[in-house]
Amino acid sequence: MGQMRRVLLGLLAYGSVILPMQAQTDAPPQAGPFFLTLHFAGGTGLVALGGGYRVAHQRLEPEVLVGYLPRRLAGHRAAIITLKTSYIPFSPRLGHSRWEVSPVAVGGFINYTTGSQYFLTNNSAGRYRPGYYWWSAAVRMGAFAGPRLTHLGHLSGRYVPKQTLYAELGTNELYLVSALTNRSLKLKEILTLGGGVKGSW
Amino acid sequence: MLALTGLVGCSLVEYSPNQTHLPTAERGLTTQTLALLQQMPRAATADTVRFVFVGDTQRFYDETEQFVASVNRQRAIDFVFVGGDISDFGLLREFRWVHQRLQQLRVPYLTVVGNHDLVGNGRAIYQSIYGPLNYTFQYGGTKFICLDTNGREYGFGAQVPDVAWLRQQLQDTTGSQRAVVLSHVPPTDEDFDPALIPTYTAALRGCSRLVFHLSGHVHRYTAGQPFRDGVTYLTTYSLAKHRYHIISLWGQRQFRLETVTYGPDA
Repeated sequence: MGQMRRVLLGLLAYGSVILPMQAQTDAPPQAGPFFLTLHFAGGTGLVALGGGYRVAHQRLEPEVLVGYLPRRLAGHRAAIITLKTSYIPFSPRLGHSRWEVSPVAVGGFINYTTGSQYFLTNNSAGRYRPGYYWWSAAVRMGAFAGPRLTHLGHLSGRYVPKQTLYAELGTNELYLVSALTNRSLKLKEILTLGGGVKGSW
Repeated sequence: MLALTGLVGCSLVEYSPNQTHLPTAERGLTTQTLALLQQMPRAATADTVRFVFVGDTQRFYDETEQFVASVNRQRAIDFVFVGGDISDFGLLREFRWVHQRLQQLRVPYLTVVGNHDLVGNGRAIYQSIYGPLNYTFQYGGTKFICLDTNGREYGFGAQVPDVAWLRQQLQDTTGSQRAVVLSHVPPTDEDFDPALIPTYTAALRGCSRLVFHLSGHVHRYTAGQPFRDGVTYLTTYSLAKHRYHIISLWGQRQFRLETVTYGPDA
């Protein structure tokens, strides 16, 4: 009987420690849905600022970026407006630390470059017959993949602060068409590198 | 960090496909090439100038490699001239992909701007990598006049080609026995500004030293005197046709045209 009491007391004591931890794993406090992004290169300007809203259990990060392309880099100043979505299939935590590493996140983008020299379609330019140029000079579409490193902060208020550092190797549809129609064009030649930080508080 | 530096080194970092920014060694290639050409003795005998003339390299990277291999097997070639449409979409990387292949040529190469090279930010990119859209050079007693004739890209409007500049260049042939005009769009094409055809062809007609007018754009060989005025207009193949021309010039206005077939079916 005395042994039974000791076991029950022990279980209770154990439970009082473990239960809050279990509660945490079942419904851990999450990062907020809104995030801000500071992005570099990758065809979206020298630097781009924007933000988005996490959906699908925080596995999808759709966002809008406004990039700046300075005169020194392109002869004319331009803005590049990008709609982009990243998919993070898994983001395991490093042991019991506050760091998460996602070996690969993938995504797609579509962007628009401002400037009168970039026609939306060859018809909108007004100087070509239909089909003269089949692509848009202003709109680029592409895909990318790359790793992410995330730091989770301490709960303060409703959400856990979350900062992510990421890199992306990508390409656009015109580079892809060039590579698909030429054996001598190597994958390395059509890749672009970009990266940035995302944060939510 | 080292890996990152390596990635930057092989130009993976791209701010926009329309950017004009280039490593110093790849800027102003026309000026660089002309300086090199002036130091080179002519490859052929007597007063003959012998050069390769080919058209549009646009997105024909495999064919461009085969073309380079073929030209490198030729003897007595002074230079290669690419008649415009170096790129397909007017993007910086395309110009670099072509240049990386054409710089494997054993002789220097020169270009004139094509309509595809002017798409989007292409004009600024062409100016950055090659240089002026209208330029001339003298070689082997010949004045080569290269100019932008892609009128449609400017919405016509009687601005391009710059006929006044052309007329001046054709008048001032001091030190040259003969002249050759090179452009991308020939005046017989619908992409040439119709308002400028009379003055353009008249300027050519007015130069007694003019051998002929050379163009690309139509991707095939044509030859004739379409304006029935004694001026010969030639067009050449695109890279996709696996053919190029070797042109020899000598004497007053003598020339010979050879056609070379290359690539897997040659």
